[in-house]
Amino acid sequence: MFKVILIDDEPLARQLVRALLEPYKQVTVVAECGDGFEGFKAIQEHHPDLIFLDIQMPRLNGFEMLELIENPPSVIFTTAFDEYAMKAFETHAVDYLLKPIVKERFEKAVQKWLQHAPAKEQIRVNELIEANIYEGYQHRIVVKDNGLIRIIPASEIFYIEAKDDYIKIVTKDGSYLKKNTLSHIELSLDPQQFVRVHRSYMIPVTQLKRIEPYEKDSHIALLHCGAKVTVSKSGMAKLKSLLGW
Amino acid sequence: MLHHVGHLNWLLAIEDGSCSILILSLSAWLIILIIRAYPTTAAIYPYALFIAAIFSMIATTAGWEVIKWWVVKDNLEYKKWLETSIPVRFLFSWMVCTWTATNCALRKNITVSDSRFQQQTDASVLLKEAELFKLRQQLQPHFLYNSLNSINALILISPAKAQEMIGKLSDFLRSSVQRESESVLSVNEELQYIQSYLAIESVRFGDRLVVSIEKNYDENSVLPPFLVQPILENAIKFGLYGKTGAVTINITIVTENNMLVITVSNPYDADQQPPKGTGFGLEGIRRRLYLMYARTDLLTITGSDGQFNTTLKIPQRYVQGNTD
Repeated sequence: MFKVILIDDEPLARQLVRALLEPYKQVTVVAECGDGFEGFKAIQEHHPDLIFLDIQMPRLNGFEMLELIENPPSVIFTTAFDEYAMKAFETHAVDYLLKPIVKERFEKAVQKWLQHAPAKEQIRVNELIEANIYEGYQHRIVVKDNGLIRIIPASEIFYIEAKDDYIKIVTKDGSYLKKNTLSHIELSLDPQQFVRVHRSYMIPVTQLKRIEPYEKDSHIALLHCGAKVTVSKSGMAKLKSLLGW
Repeated sequence: MLHHVGHLNWLLAIEDGSCSILILSLSAWLIILIIRAYPTTAAIYPYALFIAAIFSMIATTAGWEVIKWWVVKDNLEYKKWLETSIPVRFLFSWMVCTWTATNCALRKNITVSDSRFQQQTDASVLLKEAELFKLRQQLQPHFLYNSLNSINALILISPAKAQEMIGKLSDFLRSSVQRESESVLSVNEELQYIQSYLAIESVRFGDRLVVSIEKNYDENSVLPPFLVQPILENAIKFGLYGKTGAVTINITIVTENNMLVITVSNPYDADQQPPKGTGFGLEGIRRRLYLMYARTDLLTITGSDGQFNTTLKIPQRYVQGNTD
């Protein structure tokens, strides 16, 4: 028996998927969720084999929710997105259903999943986010903080530091760890606002207070929050071109 | 003049004078033709001076040759005088040629920059219109696809409701198409449109969506189309995230200080401040308002006491002036 969760903010859209799943006796719908928060909780609780996931949802969108889950289940996206976004899905071998969902296409997707069901392929959410499918650049970062979900608006970030497999996001309320790399974050945040000044550091330009020469070829940036961050030679060049020095 | 200054007899003076003037006019005409044919305006002034210098030399030489052959004949005294007057003749024709050439170049330059300015204005107007059109278009597809998906679900669950929904969606689309060509609409027309939109949303979200509309506005107020609906869409999305209970969306439409002020407020989870810029299409509205009124303060978003307020201001005098 396969466990399925439906995550969509529209009740009718969930009812449609539920009705279309009716003929598949090997599948049970264990939960229906109206946003990413509920979806996150339900996935932790039920450990489903497959989720049907809408992307554009209030509070926590589909991508943000997936990012927070350690071992995400198989996903079939259900979305009203345009052709451009579809291309990104195809490039990353993610299955999706376009709204309005058509029965034939739905059956094809479910059959395909049933055939490959035991071998779960990890979704590379980061790559989808990088493709800027969802409303261009991200304006916030979602982290898990002691089991709670915290949404950090990009404007509240002091700086981001690379720590092995993690990134440390420093804000006025403290710092948060997230399993991600600076290179991924760099691609999803607006380059007009965030600059990778060093291999291990990324800062919002608005945080920049002063820059002082340090060792040969490198500088130290003083931030408004009081922190000091190393700026490499190429980081300096990026700052110069962005700020027009 | 030649008669007085050069002490020539009248006949010689007239013959000499008419020859010189004829040749000079001919070279001025050629200069104008050549400069007009110059393909660009880049370095047109040095080019003009160069042309003028060449033509003044040609004119002087030609003048001398013609006068020698036609006027001088055996008059030695006159010939001598002619030779001494060459530098003056050259100077005079150089001045005339230079003036003609630079004047012509200047005119050409003005015409070209005028037409370039015109082109740029045309292009920026076109660009602005195209952008406005694109921003408007962006608002439609999501809503349409989602509504069709709801109809899809209703066909399975409740065919009668599906039919009702198709009727409402058609009404909405019909008035959308009619509005496409309008630059401004009366507030009553807009209200009707909003209501046909809300009718569809209430099918999608069922009993959970409650909308209250408070009206206190000048009936003659106007506003550009397709601004209010995306704000409402946004409010509904953010207001209805919870699973239980009905959610009230408040709409107030009032006239204040010659502005039509439309406020849409929806409840939101107070500890989960909806971030700016994540609004579905709010940035697009801001951009459209900027393109139409060159102002950035017409759309404000505030959140307090669990209520999220989106306020849209439409300057009235300006809009009406625009339609005259």
